[in-house]
Amino acid sequence: MKDLYLIYKNLTRKKLRLFLTCFTIFIAFLIFGAVTALQGALNSGVEMSADNRLITVNKINFTQPLPFAYVNKVQNIAGVKEVSYANWFGGFYQEPAKQVVTMAVDPITYFSVYEELVLPDEQKSKWQKNRRGAVVGQRLAKTYNWKVGDTVPMSSNIFSNKDGTQTWELQIEGIFTAKDPQTDTGYMLFHYKYFMETQIWGGDNVGWLMLTTTDTNLNEQVAKAIDDSFANSAAETQTSTEAAFNKAFIEQIGNIGLIIFGVVFMAFFTILVVVGNTMVLAIRERTGEIAVLKTLGFSSMRVFRMILIESCLLAFFGGLLGLGGAYLAVLWASAAMARFLPNLVLDQGIVLQALGYMLLLGLITGIVPALRALKLNIVSGLQGV
Amino acid sequence: MALMSQSMAVIVMNIRSLPRRFWMSAAMVIASAVVVAILLAFLAMAKGFETTLKSAGAEDVAFFLRVSSAAELNSTVMNDQVNLLRNAPGIVANDKGPMVSPELYVIVDGIKKTSQTKANIPLRGLGEQGVRLRENFTLLKGRMFTPGTNELIVGQGLLGQFDGFELGNTLNFGKNRWTVVGVFSTAGNVFESELWADARVIQSLYNRGSSYQSVRAKLSSPQQIEGIKAYIENDPRLNQVVQSEASYFAEQGKSLSYIAIFGRVISTVMALGALAGALNTMFTSVADRTTEIATLRAIGFSHLSAFVGTMAEALVLSVLGGLLGSLAAYLFFDGLSTSTLGGSFTQVVFTFQLSGNLFMQGALMALIIGFVSGVFPAWRAARVPVAVAFQARR
Amino acid sequence: MNQDVLFNLVNVAKGFVKGKEKISIFDGLNMQIKKNDFLAIMGPSGSGKTTLLNLLGGVDQPTSGEIMFDNQRIDTLSESKLAQWRANNVGFIFQFYNLMPMLNAQRNVELPLLLTHLSSKERQERVQNALKLVGLDDRANHMPGEMSGGQQQRVAIARAVVSDPKLLLCDEPTGDLDRKTADEILEMLQLLNRDFGKTIVMVTHDPAAAKFARHILYLDKGEFVTREVRNERPVSDL
Repeated sequence: MKDLYLIYKNLTRKKLRLFLTCFTIFIAFLIFGAVTALQGALNSGVEMSADNRLITVNKINFTQPLPFAYVNKVQNIAGVKEVSYANWFGGFYQEPAKQVVTMAVDPITYFSVYEELVLPDEQKSKWQKNRRGAVVGQRLAKTYNWKVGDTVPMSSNIFSNKDGTQTWELQIEGIFTAKDPQTDTGYMLFHYKYFMETQIWGGDNVGWLMLTTTDTNLNEQVAKAIDDSFANSAAETQTSTEAAFNKAFIEQIGNIGLIIFGVVFMAFFTILVVVGNTMVLAIRERTGEIAVLKTLGFSSMRVFRMILIESCLLAFFGGLLGLGGAYLAVLWASAAMARFLPNLVLDQGIVLQALGYMLLLGLITGIVPALRALKLNIVSGLQGV
Repeated sequence: MALMSQSMAVIVMNIRSLPRRFWMSAAMVIASAVVVAILLAFLAMAKGFETTLKSAGAEDVAFFLRVSSAAELNSTVMNDQVNLLRNAPGIVANDKGPMVSPELYVIVDGIKKTSQTKANIPLRGLGEQGVRLRENFTLLKGRMFTPGTNELIVGQGLLGQFDGFELGNTLNFGKNRWTVVGVFSTAGNVFESELWADARVIQSLYNRGSSYQSVRAKLSSPQQIEGIKAYIENDPRLNQVVQSEASYFAEQGKSLSYIAIFGRVISTVMALGALAGALNTMFTSVADRTTEIATLRAIGFSHLSAFVGTMAEALVLSVLGGLLGSLAAYLFFDGLSTSTLGGSFTQVVFTFQLSGNLFMQGALMALIIGFVSGVFPAWRAARVPVAVAFQARR
Repeated sequence: MNQDVLFNLVNVAKGFVKGKEKISIFDGLNMQIKKNDFLAIMGPSGSGKTTLLNLLGGVDQPTSGEIMFDNQRIDTLSESKLAQWRANNVGFIFQFYNLMPMLNAQRNVELPLLLTHLSSKERQERVQNALKLVGLDDRANHMPGEMSGGQQQRVAIARAVVSDPKLLLCDEPTGDLDRKTADEILEMLQLLNRDFGKTIVMVTHDPAAAKFARHILYLDKGEFVTREVRNERPVSDL
């Protein structure tokens, strides 16, 4: 558009003011990008959950075990497709600080329930045949540079090995990946039977069950059926969809969503006021010039449009820089905090949201001065009112 | 002195003219207020965490966990190991024998009042020595649980955050039924987020046989820890790690400290943004008043008075904002009790604590914003050439 | 209507309300401006001369009456039509030049052409010609802040003529200039009138400036008091 040069010149009139205003917008979108990514990471467990997967835990608390017999009982309930189970190992590698998510599972059924994971058949059958075998997720393997064939000593901060130590030597038989790059692959699986045989307490209990249903519409029904069948027993169960389970877990952090929302809201509100103000004043200074443009023959609509474009350009310029900064911050943080927040990433959704807010910011901060310019009476404008 | 009275006059003029630049000034006040409020909120939160965890750990209480256990939840201590520990050196004895308390720590669920969702709560099994070990323990209402029965007492903090734990209520955890017979306080620390019951009862209900999860022992002095460490090393049957209770809780607090760090980072970033906004506001204010300033200079007012006048304006606005932010933080956050996920996946109840010291930090932040956003524009104001007063308005 | 009449004002009234008072600037003003005229309007402040100029330029609207420009009524045009009309027909020259401070001379002069459909190349050509006309083509890249008052006014003149309008309206064009520079500007206006056939209406309170015009009108309290003929024939060389 022919007016772009004029708009550009107006924006860059006072370099210091432009810098400060851009900086304020930059900060707001930096915060927005980083904090929204954080929120996404916390919720990713919820989002990545499969629709038709249920989790059954002990009703008292998920740290209490369930009897092994439950596995078959659940398999026989109508609507249940596949059942598997897992025990929390509480693992660490070499030192307690290096925590590794490790679970003792059933090598036959685990990957049927978690269909989004990909393990080459060859590796799977090798693992199934090796009692001491383990499979490792790609992200975990990368972290410690583990390869198929390595023997790694995994220690538990809960359980003791019959051999007197708290360490189990496991042989890596396979590395699994996921169909969706956002699915977490930062954990390790080994044989439930081997675990039970070698840990001091032994016994035949499982940590929790995970199962798939034949139809998502049956989820509620199946959950109820499962819990009913164990009601009033020594270990009552609580079955919920995987998404609900993960969500409940995050909610324990106590309304983090509200805090995050609050911070971002305050940041945006503040910049809105500051930038909006600056725009109003910057354009008020140009009252005379706007009047002159109108005398030259620029229509009121044209002038109105130019101002809105100016405020939007400002918002996008600062906003895109801020988003870029957030991207870098998230990149750094996701490397540094990979263990706690595996899914910290600034994805497309956040970018689109941010662009929308930039547009909104531009329009809101520009509308008042633009309207004023639209309605400006040339005569009074020329007098410098 | 002429300089003083000149400066005072300019300051008064500037501040009187603030209403003309209402929205601009409001912007600066809001920016300062928001930054100070957020800073104070996060500082109060961090302080709350600290208090909750710090005061829970005593320097002279030895805390035993099985080696490599991250927390009480993960540990196991066999009965005979407990007996061996009873004979360790340096432990104080009272009329009931050595003050050694073997304890259990299991997790049950409760409904949080605020979100009406489930959250994990610790149920601790202990005996009389355990209660005596916590010196700040007081029974606020009701009575102590009777050993051997399904009675429990609830911590005050927990009572406030969760539904259904009032005195006299019955609770169902799985198939087990409990009755709340008392409410206790331990001076606001983490133990107040717990339920306490008889250790033996927990052992049988949760199939623990005769084993426990942790052991606490009162020492005659904090230095005795070393002696106990040696004692454990020398006995191959003992696989415990000992530390003072205080240092255990310090470790536990680490996860909460992440939130505090996050808060600090956010506050700092926002402060930078607010600073840019404040600078912008002040520069625009000086531009708005250029003719005024030049006229004063033409009349005979000094450079310094222009400088001081602008500085004063910036400081007044930012301090005003700081006061508003402090007030807002105080109203919304002080004394606000909430709970979040601590180590061991259980809820830790803590209170936001605003103190004089924290307000000082907020005030300092406001002053810094005021000073930095004032000094550069003030410098510009001081340099306005007198000739401007004679120029036609463009 | 006469073919050589550019403006015909019939019974024009202009007033405004100030608080509870009704102030009338013009009440039943009638006048005609011939094409190719160079008219100076003089009068004390408050006589309405600037208001008259604004009415002629379509920048202000009369309370009642008719204003005809080249047989077309401009007092009934909508705001956007007026803007278009101005772009096509009028060039303005102000006392304080009113150049955009952040644009250089070239860009300032180009402004009216942004309202046309000319290509960038065509615009550049016209700008160059206009600057050459006022003798400033070597300062095309200078900013207003780097120029003297006289030079700025010349840039303003270039801007006013760049889209070749029929009419030039000048509000105290030499009010801020010294004698010598003022004369240069006024001579330029005469040139535009004589050689380029532009109709010029100039408001001034400087009698020396008025002498450059062909006709002088005296306005007092909204009425024409006298009319002086200065230069019916083109100004002869000195």
